[in-house]
Amino acid sequence: MGVHVFGIRHHGPGSARSLQLALGQLQPSCVLIEGPPDADALIPLFETAAMQPPVALLLHEREHPTNALYYPFAAFSPELIAMRFALERGIAVRFMDLPVTHQLGLDAETKGEPRGVLGDPLALIAEAAGYADSERWWEHMVEERQDGREIFEAIRYAMVSLRRELEWDVRGGEAESKREAMREAYMRQTIRAAIKEGHEAIAVVCGAWHVPALLDLPPEKTDRAILRGMPKKKIDATVIPWTHGRLTVSSGYGAGVRSPGWYHHLFTTPTDVVTSWLTKVARLLRDEGLDVSSAHVIESVRLADALASLRGRPLPGLDEMNEAAKTIMLFGDELPLRLVHERLVVGQSLGSVPGDTPMVPLMRDLAKQQKSLRLKPAAIEKELTLDLRKPNDLKKSVLLRRLDLLRVPWGVGGDRGAGLGTFKETWRLCWEPELAIRLVEAGVYGGTIEDAARAYALERVAKTEDLAQLTILVRQLMYAELPDVVTPALKALESRAAVAADLTHLMVAIPQLAQLVRYGDVRDTATEVVREVLDELVTRVAVGLLPAVTGINEEAAEEMFTNIMNVHGAIGLVDAHRDLWFDTLTKIGGKDALPGLLRGRALRLCFDAQRIERDEVERRFSYALSVASEPAHAAAFAEGFLRGSGQILVYDEGLWAILDRWIATLQAEAFETLLPLLRRTFSTFTAPERRQMSERIATGGVTATAEDDYRIDDERAAAAMDLARQMLGIA
Amino acid sequence: MTDPTTPLIRRHAEEQFAEELAALAKHDDRARPPNWKLSPWATLTYILGGKLDDGFEISAKYIGQRRLIEIAIATLATDRALLLYGVPGTAKSWVSEHLAAAISGDSTRLVQGTAGTGEEAIRYGWNYARLLAEGPSENAMVPSPVMNAMRDGALVRVEELTRVPSDVQDSLITVLSEKLLPIPELGKAVQALKGFNVIATANNRDKGVNELSSALKRRFNTVVLPLPATADEEVTIVAERVAALGRALEIPAEKPALEEIRRVVTIFRELREGKTSDGKTKLKTPTGTLSTAEVISVMFSGLSLAAHFGDGTLHAADIASGITGAIVKDPVQDGVAWKEYLEAVVKEREEWRDLYRACREQL
Repeated sequence: MGVHVFGIRHHGPGSARSLQLALGQLQPSCVLIEGPPDADALIPLFETAAMQPPVALLLHEREHPTNALYYPFAAFSPELIAMRFALERGIAVRFMDLPVTHQLGLDAETKGEPRGVLGDPLALIAEAAGYADSERWWEHMVEERQDGREIFEAIRYAMVSLRRELEWDVRGGEAESKREAMREAYMRQTIRAAIKEGHEAIAVVCGAWHVPALLDLPPEKTDRAILRGMPKKKIDATVIPWTHGRLTVSSGYGAGVRSPGWYHHLFTTPTDVVTSWLTKVARLLRDEGLDVSSAHVIESVRLADALASLRGRPLPGLDEMNEAAKTIMLFGDELPLRLVHERLVVGQSLGSVPGDTPMVPLMRDLAKQQKSLRLKPAAIEKELTLDLRKPNDLKKSVLLRRLDLLRVPWGVGGDRGAGLGTFKETWRLCWEPELAIRLVEAGVYGGTIEDAARAYALERVAKTEDLAQLTILVRQLMYAELPDVVTPALKALESRAAVAADLTHLMVAIPQLAQLVRYGDVRDTATEVVREVLDELVTRVAVGLLPAVTGINEEAAEEMFTNIMNVHGAIGLVDAHRDLWFDTLTKIGGKDALPGLLRGRALRLCFDAQRIERDEVERRFSYALSVASEPAHAAAFAEGFLRGSGQILVYDEGLWAILDRWIATLQAEAFETLLPLLRRTFSTFTAPERRQMSERIATGGVTATAEDDYRIDDERAAAAMDLARQMLGIA
Repeated sequence: MTDPTTPLIRRHAEEQFAEELAALAKHDDRARPPNWKLSPWATLTYILGGKLDDGFEISAKYIGQRRLIEIAIATLATDRALLLYGVPGTAKSWVSEHLAAAISGDSTRLVQGTAGTGEEAIRYGWNYARLLAEGPSENAMVPSPVMNAMRDGALVRVEELTRVPSDVQDSLITVLSEKLLPIPELGKAVQALKGFNVIATANNRDKGVNELSSALKRRFNTVVLPLPATADEEVTIVAERVAALGRALEIPAEKPALEEIRRVVTIFRELREGKTSDGKTKLKTPTGTLSTAEVISVMFSGLSLAAHFGDGTLHAADIASGITGAIVKDPVQDGVAWKEYLEAVVKEREEWRDLYRACREQL
């Protein structure tokens, strides 16, 4: 009788199996587990069938929920086995690690100090045994054993001698060793308390490293001294679903393992581990469309066995099985093994927690909605297409959008794609366990997702200064069906627009608003307000554009070019103040002093909308490209006029001739400087356009000097063809 | 076995390494599969090299991933056929020869796959004079290496399996699945003894020429032999092979300096990967394969040039023609790639000046 310390490896299936056997033999009256005592109240939940691992205890500071610690458990975690063992027999069970309330308090005190990196003490033993990798060593020695009753004796022995050699050296910096000392002191205190309560057989389950510290209890007062005056934080605790992916080391989890899916298999499959694993692999590959027959599985099992005996191992491990699968099922191809790794070796299970788990109201609300909408969270990314004409789908969309507003990005995307029509949305859904903490964070805004989203949005409306962002927000609010926030948001939009001095900001906001007016499924009143704001913005832009583009440099002109195009598109969409807009464009097109790029584009827009006569366009084009104008300006004008579409040159012989003449009259030097610019312009044309143009040049179909006695000298023309091609960007 | 003093250009693996094989057999106390001359563990040591208990040194035949050879040996031990797959010059035939030498003590049961390989190379042919005189009989039959291997319980090698026409390839199916070779003319069949197995090699440059049928593919375990992982590994391989070849062919020249080998390895690796080893310059890749085998042959031809026409020491000029010849397989495309490489990379490396000048002269 007395205290029995079982050193385990966190998330080790072999440890779990051995522990189960050992506990059964010991029949303890009390089980103490390395875990946060702040979560003692949650332990009984683990007995229910609805608690399906992987799950994690989540303990966070009440004031700052992002300050949180997770304690994950998988089906094969020894800690979980110990809990369930105790719960099934109705004996006392509690956690014994340093409470999170103190841990977070200590974190706050040592903030800024770098936390020491915890060295892996097992690596040293593994190294001594000739293994390069401590995980593999432990796997061979402990996890892959089917029966290991003496294993705890061996672990205790190994750890005692290891710690005698090293003590704290390998465990990181000073703050870290102090923390470790506190943790072990607290563990010993918990053990003392259990002894005082009169328990005769006490089972202590802890990480192997801590075993030596818990074997002998020093005088109580030393521990009390270590633990004196520890800082405290207010803590809330809950259980959240976890994933196998988050149990891996590569996810950044310190006590993680490399292959949770494989461990799960090892733990849940008592016999024929190899056969059943390779069958799983074969089924996965078959689902992915690879031809894998049962004969392949049989041969793979044989090869894995042969490899294991060649390497002197009692049973094939993961390495042997991967190699067998690659050699036999995949014909030496490495790539599909990645799929096996992702789906099976790591695995994608997502746990679930019982409904009566204490959780923040937001989580409860989400769980309720997930149930009623039949939208189950999953750890694998999945595409979801919603038809907004169906009420249920609309509700799903609204839920996802509200969560997105609260910065809980469960779904990504949600664009109402052009090809899908305005009533279809596609989302990519993937539940990451961290989203739970985001929900806790958002909990300060309200008790339901709708309330919280509303309150949070209101706060953002008040804070957002940027006009463009505000318009995006308005759009989000409309889609998220939060009409009572839309009105204040629009008011804010109006007032921001009224005081916005920078014309470019207004120009950026217009396209968003136009989209809302055109496609927004908004109630009429709201549309009307948006429309009013839009009208006002367009008026102000139309009036203010001319002064705004005067005297700007090339870079600013480039930005303005994009803005003008966007606003132009928006105006086309909603038909607002067209005349005013084209008036402005005509003026810009005719004003010499303005940047050529914008002048050219304004002229082109007017021409395309038939707001200006063809003769007039030709006249202005020719004027801008006349010999007297600076070649660089002329080229900028040409670029503004032509960028994006060369169709006009193919069909309009007059413009073609002007351009041709202009290039012909350029001085050699000027031509060389302009060549890159021209090339840039021409390269924005589509390939067929460019081909048509070069055909024109080749056949001489259109030239400025198409006189009767004009003949093409093929030989001499051929010499110029290369240059022409280069200019057109088709060389 | 041939008389060791006979001046052969190249000896069979089992003769060249007879001493090592004998030493391994003497110390080999582990279980041997039926008809294996060595246990799988001893075979592994033979291929990868190592030291025996009495200090006898076994040379490494293959330098590379241990696990690949483990898989290959385990495959043969489970009586599945082995397919060694990879780009040319990755020691596929080399490994298969040594596996056969170690396991069966005989690497000469060999079918060379070509476009003209007929069924008789895999099954059996006839001595037509006898066939006409005596009619179909055991005596008139000419057995193939495969049939011989089945009768002896030994390994047979099929080189370049994917060059063999598909219908001929498929005659291996019964042999592999039922370990049986029927002779309908005689109403008999040859049944394989334990220890019989097939090692085939195939070249992934031939992909799609005569793709294995899925029925046949299923009967092979595929092991892909990669190009050497690091430049150092490749240098070791080249140095060892060149030294061995030089001994065998009695080239009097000095062994090439490791530096010289490293230069050629670097050139070939960089061109193969399409970038310089520091990853800063993108390169055009020549059409030909530039595997380790090519490096070995370049070094070796340089060595003989130096021995017979030079001063016995390997200089840049001796390897320049070899390098150019190995790289420029297509005069137009490869010529451009090689010239660009010379100008952009070789010229820029201070200590490579001699090589640059020597190579420029070749163009």
